[in-house]
Amino acid sequence: MAQKNGTTNEPKVSVLLSTYNRRRYLPISLSSIVRQDYRNLEIFVIRDGGEEVGDIVGSFNDSRIVFIDRKDNRGLPHSLNEAIGRATGKYICYLGDDDLYYPHHVSTLVDALENKTDCQAAYSDLYKTYCRILPDGSRQVLGKFVEISRDFDRFFILYFNHVLHVSLMHTRDILEKTGLYNEKVTALIDWDMTRRLVFFTDFYHVADVTGEFYAPVSDNDRISFLKRKDSAGFATNFLSIRTTRPAKPWSKLKDLSIIFMADRLDRLAGKTVSSIWQQTFYPYKLYIPVSAAAGNVGTDMPNLVCVPVDALATQDQQIDAALRDCEGEFVAIAPADLPVNDMWVEEPLYALINNKEKNQAYQMESSSDQLWSAVFRKEELLEARKLFPNEPVRQSVLKSGITIQRVAPEEIPFQFDSLLKQGKQAGRNGNWYEAAEIFEYIAEHYQNELWMKSLVAGALHKAGDDDRAAELVKKVNASRPTVDTLLLEARIHKKSRDFSRAIELLESARSVLKGDYLYGNS
Amino acid sequence: MEIVKNINDEKGYPMQHYEVLQDLGDCFACVGNFVSAQDCYEQAASLGPDEAGPYIGLGVIALQKDLLDDAESAFKIAVRLDKNSSKAYAGLAMALQRKGSHSQSFDMYLKSLELDSDNLASLLGLFQTSCYMGSFSKVIFYLETYLNMHPADTSVMFTLAALYMKDNRLRDAKQTLQNILALDGSNADAVKLLEEVEHQLAAACQV
Repeated sequence: MAQKNGTTNEPKVSVLLSTYNRRRYLPISLSSIVRQDYRNLEIFVIRDGGEEVGDIVGSFNDSRIVFIDRKDNRGLPHSLNEAIGRATGKYICYLGDDDLYYPHHVSTLVDALENKTDCQAAYSDLYKTYCRILPDGSRQVLGKFVEISRDFDRFFILYFNHVLHVSLMHTRDILEKTGLYNEKVTALIDWDMTRRLVFFTDFYHVADVTGEFYAPVSDNDRISFLKRKDSAGFATNFLSIRTTRPAKPWSKLKDLSIIFMADRLDRLAGKTVSSIWQQTFYPYKLYIPVSAAAGNVGTDMPNLVCVPVDALATQDQQIDAALRDCEGEFVAIAPADLPVNDMWVEEPLYALINNKEKNQAYQMESSSDQLWSAVFRKEELLEARKLFPNEPVRQSVLKSGITIQRVAPEEIPFQFDSLLKQGKQAGRNGNWYEAAEIFEYIAEHYQNELWMKSLVAGALHKAGDDDRAAELVKKVNASRPTVDTLLLEARIHKKSRDFSRAIELLESARSVLKGDYLYGNS
Repeated sequence: MEIVKNINDEKGYPMQHYEVLQDLGDCFACVGNFVSAQDCYEQAASLGPDEAGPYIGLGVIALQKDLLDDAESAFKIAVRLDKNSSKAYAGLAMALQRKGSHSQSFDMYLKSLELDSDNLASLLGLFQTSCYMGSFSKVIFYLETYLNMHPADTSVMFTLAALYMKDNRLRDAKQTLQNILALDGSNADAVKLLEEVEHQLAAACQV
């Protein structure tokens, strides 16, 4: 990412806080915005129905607050859209009505976007604060964990979210490209937006903890949690988000066209189409060559294009017809009976995206002579068909010099996640040195250095190698201390009977847990 | 959905705040700052109401302050919360020992050692209460068990040798003292006791 050398001129930031029946926590959340060390803010508090909160908002007596007082509950996406419609800031950021920012949250992200990157979105790390809700409604903090400190991973965000809204800031302009919030989405609302953002920008990761989101350990009343418990509703939202395609042009993502080949559009074909819909997370359109005699696909699946073909057209002619219509820079050919599993098209596609050589293609894992299936660069496939129009597609591809290969293990996506899982499993099995080695390997090859170093230090401590653990965790704490890493370093000092240093570190950890930085006690 | 499932299954252990306060209490206690230590343990107890650790800490502080009833109460709570805590039984035994309840103390030391034969404080406490009560067989068993795991601990070896002598197991005493001297040839106490053992052995032969 390019570094900018400009100066900060305090652009205005619009902070969006929608609230619904959270009078108890709203003052804490709103206070954390008002107390930002960055002053040029417009603060939208949107009452999304529920209890009155005008008295709370008024008590801040802050002219930067714009209060949208609505009696009826229309949902978070509507509230955000309502505020965005009135926002004038260069940047937009978000806060949940039971979450909070640290005083440097806005300034940190503005500094990143203004001075450190050309990205139009930046995000920081957050503490996930586990708490017990006491009878009086107050929250007893049980622990604060940075569970994810992940560097930007576009492919992962297409798959699932790793950037929570509380940690996100983006330009307001970019919403003209992404579109506003989808008001039909009732769960995973933040992912709906971050997923659309990755079509147009990289995200800049600031590995600094700048806020907290709360996770009660029992009787979870979080709206997002309740929505997720409704599995049918969750699945509907999930698929709706995954199939959302913002308007083109996409500056950061290449489109995929899937050509679906079926002799008959029967029930089996319909089932495969449905599997494609449910399993595919990379943005795509599905092209189905159909003659009037072939029947009806029988699905209300989005992003489906029926390509009219002659009833007597061969399969190769059908592919050629579909290929002419395809929008995507990548084209996948999928026969009707092909088993469609998780990553069925993303594995070969990911390998192709990362293969910089010309004339390359990758077969699907379940591809066989009978069910031949592969992903191509559209230009190269078109060229092959142009050169050998009378050959079957597979022959023309080979004759034109395109190498069709299987995906090698090192080319599979989400290697980071797979290794992380292996490392954690090794730890659970008590193989702490092995876990440390895996985390070290990840740090060397898959970014996320700070996060991995913390895990290496923890694993070494468990393995009894306190010298190496101490050296590593000290470096992590010098750069980005968290409660966990402070506790780890303290325990190493305690073990070596250096109690005064241990006390110092534990006091720092206690201060974070108490929230001293919020109330100016430290 | 496999990766999504992994993410959603991720759960941090939500007792971190408790752990910080418990460790802080331990550190304060170690440097003699009992007021701060007590404050930390009390907060830790509120965060981890089912944990024995804070009560052990509070018991230790009460022992330091010679508040034996408070110590006994704290260790009793700790024992109730964690029946497998060797430290809790050891603390309770110490409180009882200092209150003069040697028989009860002896039983608590034994329980502590059943749970952790490595607990040196319990081992020495058991030795002291045994001396008071004049019964050594159980102490010898636990000292031998301890030495299986710590074969170079010469101070415990010396205690064991002395107990062998009292129990008239002179050959075992001699062997143990020779083992001490093999590890530490300059151990004057061992040299002196060995002379005495050999003297008694020679006398026994003459008889």
